[in-house]
Amino acid sequence: MTLDKDKGLEMLRVMLMTRAIEERLIRLYHQGKIYGGVYTGYGQEATGAATAALAGPNDIFTPCIRNLSAHIGRGASAMDVFRQWLGRKDGPTGGRDSNVHFGSAENGVYAMISHLGAMIPVCVGAVMGRRYRGLDSVGFAFIGDGGTSTGDFHEAVNFAAVRDVPVVIMIENNHYAYSTPTREQYRCKHLVDRAAGYGIEGIRVDGNDAVAMAEALGPVVEDIRRNPRPVLVEADTMRMRGHGEHDDFSYVPKELLDAYAARDPIRLARKQAADHGWADDAAADALAGEIQSVVDDAYKAALAESRPDASTLTLGVYAGD
Amino acid sequence: MIESTYLEGIRAGLQAEMREDENVILFGQDIAAFGGAFKVTLGFLDEFGPKRVFNTPISESAMIGSAIGMATQGLRPVVELQFADFGLTAVHQIMNNAAMTHYRTGIPVPITLRMPCGGGFGGGPFHSEELEGLFCNMPGLKVVYPAFPGDARGLLVSAIRDPNPVIYLENKYLYRHVKEMIPRKADPVPLGIARICRTGRDAVILTYGAMVHESIQAAERVAADAGYGVMVIDMRTLKPYDEDTVLSAVAACNRVLIVHEGCRTCGFGAELAALVAEKAFHLLDAPVRRMTAPDVPVPFAPELEKAYRPDADKIEQALMELLEF
Repeated sequence: MTLDKDKGLEMLRVMLMTRAIEERLIRLYHQGKIYGGVYTGYGQEATGAATAALAGPNDIFTPCIRNLSAHIGRGASAMDVFRQWLGRKDGPTGGRDSNVHFGSAENGVYAMISHLGAMIPVCVGAVMGRRYRGLDSVGFAFIGDGGTSTGDFHEAVNFAAVRDVPVVIMIENNHYAYSTPTREQYRCKHLVDRAAGYGIEGIRVDGNDAVAMAEALGPVVEDIRRNPRPVLVEADTMRMRGHGEHDDFSYVPKELLDAYAARDPIRLARKQAADHGWADDAAADALAGEIQSVVDDAYKAALAESRPDASTLTLGVYAGD
Repeated sequence: MIESTYLEGIRAGLQAEMREDENVILFGQDIAAFGGAFKVTLGFLDEFGPKRVFNTPISESAMIGSAIGMATQGLRPVVELQFADFGLTAVHQIMNNAAMTHYRTGIPVPITLRMPCGGGFGGGPFHSEELEGLFCNMPGLKVVYPAFPGDARGLLVSAIRDPNPVIYLENKYLYRHVKEMIPRKADPVPLGIARICRTGRDAVILTYGAMVHESIQAAERVAADAGYGVMVIDMRTLKPYDEDTVLSAVAACNRVLIVHEGCRTCGFGAELAALVAEKAFHLLDAPVRRMTAPDVPVPFAPELEKAYRPDADKIEQALMELLEF
């Protein structure tokens, strides 16, 4: 599958926007303007951008903590993101939940909970629900290398296999679960090898090259849309910062970080855009500049917005009350 | 009117809602052709077809997690847990996902989790648990627990129509032990409304589930033997519970016995006792009493299980002590 210019530029936009937002979040954290920790997907922007580029209007996303790019790719704005992180009244969760724990019913994106693996069955069920209603829906469920060790991962992948539910189980192998390296997490050679155990296909992709990933997964996504079944994808990538900004990640070898820094997703996307003739350096710089000003305006506006009113504490625990 | 067992009441409620609304779907372990471990859904596959009635692997977390996904896309899934005990392997889906979604995101999660619970038949530690206290401590859940066939049907109808996740506890001992005449039409029984099963002015028993029947029996005995009139209230819904009916009963009777089948510490009875202490202390003629199981796992051997589980004899004794305080 060959991508067109629109898709290629859209992926670049999503990744640049994600990076710009997260760089600002890091700065706000160090300035003491964010309550709680900051967790980013720095260096992992390609997976969300590539999958969003392949998705249709009825598709379902359950992103995890490193997948802000999936939210952006599905239509979240910089304003949504800053309101959420700053716990503002008009944010997606109105201050009821933190960081990337937000979604959008309109965009088919679910608000994750912290328990890893827990959103995979939700993704499977949401796709089943949409297909029950006759909609053409495929799911994109994100999980990390650490999250593949949970019971929910196993239950949900097996459940989707048995029920023939078209879900892309996107394992982002970023080499570390907090401080735990993959050798203490699993014993198979590649996580994608587990696909055989579920009787489904497994595909290993370069998780830092959005264009290559979209080209590799495009036909697979179209095929499972027509012939419903889950597929396991392992995207090789690297968490380029700590688990959160409080973490100095001194346990990660410098050589490993250097190797992946040379293959930074945004650098690769810019090169792909230039090679494909979608955007030369000047055009990519101009795009980055536009995005930066949108992000700057958004965080300043969000900082100025109202916080939730404590008197609303008990509202909305139940629907229909 | 038709005669119905408790189990038939549950079946009728499910069937009525499935006929009414094609978005009601049903899944769980062994529930399709086999009809479920207790045969509640026997015949459903034939009537409603494999899109709406299907088996799942032994994956409680995937069952409940996927129900959340379906519910947020317009369906009203009913999940049968084979035993309430097994729901604990999915408790993070119940508590952290289903129960909290609306508060966090404003998106309703209309799922009904059917959980067969309770002992009295040699089920041992892992097929007899009473977990209502646990579920009542999870903001965002509703918890219902019928004691009669008609309520089993009507409360299930309401649970399925409710826009929130509802834990529907069904007492296995009652499945085939309780019968009553019920109307042909499956009208909903509103959630949050208790039922006065027996009137009296000398004491009130607050209870639910299988213990409603044991309590009525005990009340009949103290009436026959000592002439006391004991009111019995079946709570029916534990969350949200019917505070008004409880407080009116306390005002009328001035003596309170709380009875439940599950264990004591932080059991649902502790909540009722606290309510009475907070809002009706001045109306009491005797300290509130609780008759519950002790804080031990549910034992298997009949001698041990009988010692564990409250019954009419134990309730009668507690009632006499309360009445003669």
